[in-house]
Amino acid sequence: MGLILIALLLPGLVGATLILLSHRVGSRTAVGVALLATLGALTATVAAVATHARIDRPWAGEIGLGWIFESDMISAPLLVLTAGISVLVVLHGLRHAPTGGTPGLYYGLLLLIEFGALSTFWTRDLIVFFIAFEIVLVPMWVLIHRFGDDHDPAARRAAALRFVLYTALGSSIMLAGILAIVTQVGSSDMRAILAAPPQHSQMLIATLLVLGLGVKVPLWPVHSWLPPAHTIAPTAGSVLLAAILLKMGTYGLIRVPLTLTPDGFARIAPLLATLGVVGIIWGGLICLVERDLKRLIAYSSVAHMGFVALALGTNSELGLRAALIANLAHGVISALLFFVVGSLKERWGSVDLAVVRPALRETWPGLGFAVMVGLAASLGLPGLAGFWGEFLAIAAAWNPAGGGTALAVAQSQVSGGSWVVWAAEGAVSTELAFRGLAIVAALGAVLAAAYSLRVAKVIWMGDAAPRDRAGDLSWVELVIVAALILAILALGLFPYAVLPSPSGPAVLS
Amino acid sequence: MIADLVTIDAWVLAPVLAPALGALLVLVLDVLAPKARGSHLPLSLIALGAGLGALPYAVTADSPARTLCLPAPQGRCLYEVEPWGLGLQLIILAGALIVLLMLGPGTRQLDDVQRGGPAVTVSLVLAATAGAAMLPATRDLPTWLVAIELATLPAIALVALSRGRGAEGGALSLLMVSLTSFALLAIGIALWVLATGDATFSADTVRAAVEDTDRHRVLLLSILFLLAGVGFKLSAVPFHTWTPQAFAVADEAISAYLATVSKAAALGGAIVLLSPLVVLTGAGSDDGFSIRLVIGVLALASMTLGNLVALRAEDPLRLLAWSTIAQAGWVLAPLAMLTSISVAAATGYLLVYAVGSLAVFAVAAAVHSGAEGAGERRLTAYAGLARRAPLLALVLGLGLLTLAGLPPAVVGVVAKVVALGPVVDAGLWWLVGAMIVNIVLGIAVYLRWLLVVIRPADPEAGLTRLRLDPGLRVAIALAGLAVVLLSVAPGLAFGLVR
Repeated sequence: MGLILIALLLPGLVGATLILLSHRVGSRTAVGVALLATLGALTATVAAVATHARIDRPWAGEIGLGWIFESDMISAPLLVLTAGISVLVVLHGLRHAPTGGTPGLYYGLLLLIEFGALSTFWTRDLIVFFIAFEIVLVPMWVLIHRFGDDHDPAARRAAALRFVLYTALGSSIMLAGILAIVTQVGSSDMRAILAAPPQHSQMLIATLLVLGLGVKVPLWPVHSWLPPAHTIAPTAGSVLLAAILLKMGTYGLIRVPLTLTPDGFARIAPLLATLGVVGIIWGGLICLVERDLKRLIAYSSVAHMGFVALALGTNSELGLRAALIANLAHGVISALLFFVVGSLKERWGSVDLAVVRPALRETWPGLGFAVMVGLAASLGLPGLAGFWGEFLAIAAAWNPAGGGTALAVAQSQVSGGSWVVWAAEGAVSTELAFRGLAIVAALGAVLAAAYSLRVAKVIWMGDAAPRDRAGDLSWVELVIVAALILAILALGLFPYAVLPSPSGPAVLS
Repeated sequence: MIADLVTIDAWVLAPVLAPALGALLVLVLDVLAPKARGSHLPLSLIALGAGLGALPYAVTADSPARTLCLPAPQGRCLYEVEPWGLGLQLIILAGALIVLLMLGPGTRQLDDVQRGGPAVTVSLVLAATAGAAMLPATRDLPTWLVAIELATLPAIALVALSRGRGAEGGALSLLMVSLTSFALLAIGIALWVLATGDATFSADTVRAAVEDTDRHRVLLLSILFLLAGVGFKLSAVPFHTWTPQAFAVADEAISAYLATVSKAAALGGAIVLLSPLVVLTGAGSDDGFSIRLVIGVLALASMTLGNLVALRAEDPLRLLAWSTIAQAGWVLAPLAMLTSISVAAATGYLLVYAVGSLAVFAVAAAVHSGAEGAGERRLTAYAGLARRAPLLALVLGLGLLTLAGLPPAVVGVVAKVVALGPVVDAGLWWLVGAMIVNIVLGIAVYLRWLLVVIRPADPEAGLTRLRLDPGLRVAIALAGLAVVLLSVAPGLAFGLVR
């Protein structure tokens, strides 16, 4: 249990201290301390995950809350991802000093976000899960508000506020679902709930949970907070948002509705899948015409998370695996892309695709290579991380759960739940409808290829005459990019090394 | 002689007796030694401290701790402290203590904001506190009514004595509202006695009254009147209109008193009134449904209107006034479910709200006293506070986040969870939906203020250092520490009241 405490308290306490002393600590001290804290947290996280460390003790026992922290197949990769990405975002500060506030505040905020994400992935108490879910809100709000793109203060304020209000609405809806479970079962311990799942109104509970978590994922049509937040946030903020915060949504979907209210989830899963596919197409189409590269990457996140939603919506074991791997893959790929786009923005002043610029492959081959790897992984090239998630998601949709789940869906038609179940009665069977979704999602993958190649053509090939070649990847950027590219390759070549098969939907070990 | 009629346990009564005696002593001292302006504050703090010190006695005594018991065969006790009553008394006494520290009697600061001198101010605060502490423990209608008025009238006098522009007007509107509320309560009590034939809040006589059709109707009418009367005190919509007026003219400390101590007293009164009605709320009972509906609609209207108006307020005190209206809705919503869990939830929520509010009010008092042109209280006065006075900004931020229900003020989040729980459990989904929307509205309200605090200061504004009264410093420190402590161990707040 010591390891988990170190991994949580190191970023939490160091972050809080840096913020409190932000006027006294200099830039070097701040980044040094933050780097040590994140490295320490990474080490402790890896060790805790490897040794299956766990904590189980009451906290606020009067209202039945517990400090129950434990990792398993579902959370372990996300924990390591969070701790790893946190090291990289702090490292990024070495190259690109934060503007808009003191360094102490900046690194303190990054550490608090890490603390919130790690707690979310680690806890096994539903109410504590909700509290941890909320921890990231205020730090991210301040991060976008103070350190975001300084071209337009009004837009920055609006984006930051929209992020907070949207996600708070989502988590409040989720809270209603969580409380409905907790009041029925009489405990907020996930193990106790798994042993005696709620008997009544599972459908309602699952709807609340999916809706609430869907905001965070983000699911179409509640995704509209994402593009401005990702675009305006500083590079570190965009990376944390895309690589970690979005994962909290999908992780929550797996951990709460799918596991704890399986019957209810089975009924609304087709809706989840449909919304995911709409998101795939929606994001892909916008990416085809979007001019701002950072916003384009943000919309591509909507599309990629759509694949995760589709995979979960199939409510099958294969789909679950696809969701887990797609989640991880999107974490590293989007981190790479946002880092690289941040570097480009810093050098070019803007990342407007309409501006004619010299070819990246000639001016800065290192950055160009990183962009190409990111785009290739993003379009789902086999051998890279993005391939498995999307391929498996489509495969799972083509051949959904089979008898069991399809039956549940069919029954929900009879019992009056038909407003969410789109599959037409009689003529079109659920299976056929899922195959339709698979085909549309595959089209979405084609869209991804189209916009990725469009970006590659504009910035990698370039049109203007080449200029000074100085200013390619600095050593800090090189370290970050190399680490992420290695992760993308590793996930692409050995997906099952990080993802042993989870045993069915009962994912609590 | 009296001892033959009722039993008296002075230790159980101490939380009420100590501030009452303190008020008396302060007045006597002022007569004997009019020059001893510095002694009123210590004396009052000792009185409140004694009251607080006696609270653990009620914890260790039988639960509920009883006194003023009539002899058998009736055997009713007219003073009972249940866990939730204990929690409310704690808020009331501790809140009064912090308000007195904020007022700083005996210093120049008090004369700047309050007329009448320190003895009058201190004794009024102590008298109102005695009434407030009494209210959650009363079990009979006459004492209940007297306690409500004892808690209210000195508070009105405090508003009237404020030096703020239009204080008399604000006090007058408060007085008119209180008189109306008194009239409603008096009629309600008369009807209650008519229906039940009993001047105590007793579930048995209520049950007897329900069985008779005519008396049942009278009882429901009585409940309606009483609820309306208590609604004024809680400043729930539509009985809220006095709140913004009073807050706008009164000093921050007096507003803090109205927002925390008076509200705790009002909640105590409401729970005392609602407790015997649990017999009405059995499964499928129409009465239970109606009472839930009435209180639920009041809660919905309060939180929604309060938050919407607070979103546009420019005067921080006006913002707090509307936010306290919204928070009244949050207290009422779980209470509407009329179960023991919901009583604990409402009390726990109020406790957390009071701690957060006191932190905000204390920092507001500090900032406004330092701003040039003390008459002008605007949110813009907070620009750059995080830079000018980081500790003040920290306490203010924690207070605002407690009210908004966002980490790092974890206790605020837990309070929202606790308040929402009984409503979800009862399956009142329309109210759950309204509460979800209001969580988001509330976040918008408080973040709007916090936004100004973390904004970089105007370079022209100059970094004037805030000079704080020592009492105010202690008040800010206490409130800030309370938020931090409760955020680390939220169980303390909620374990106390159940």
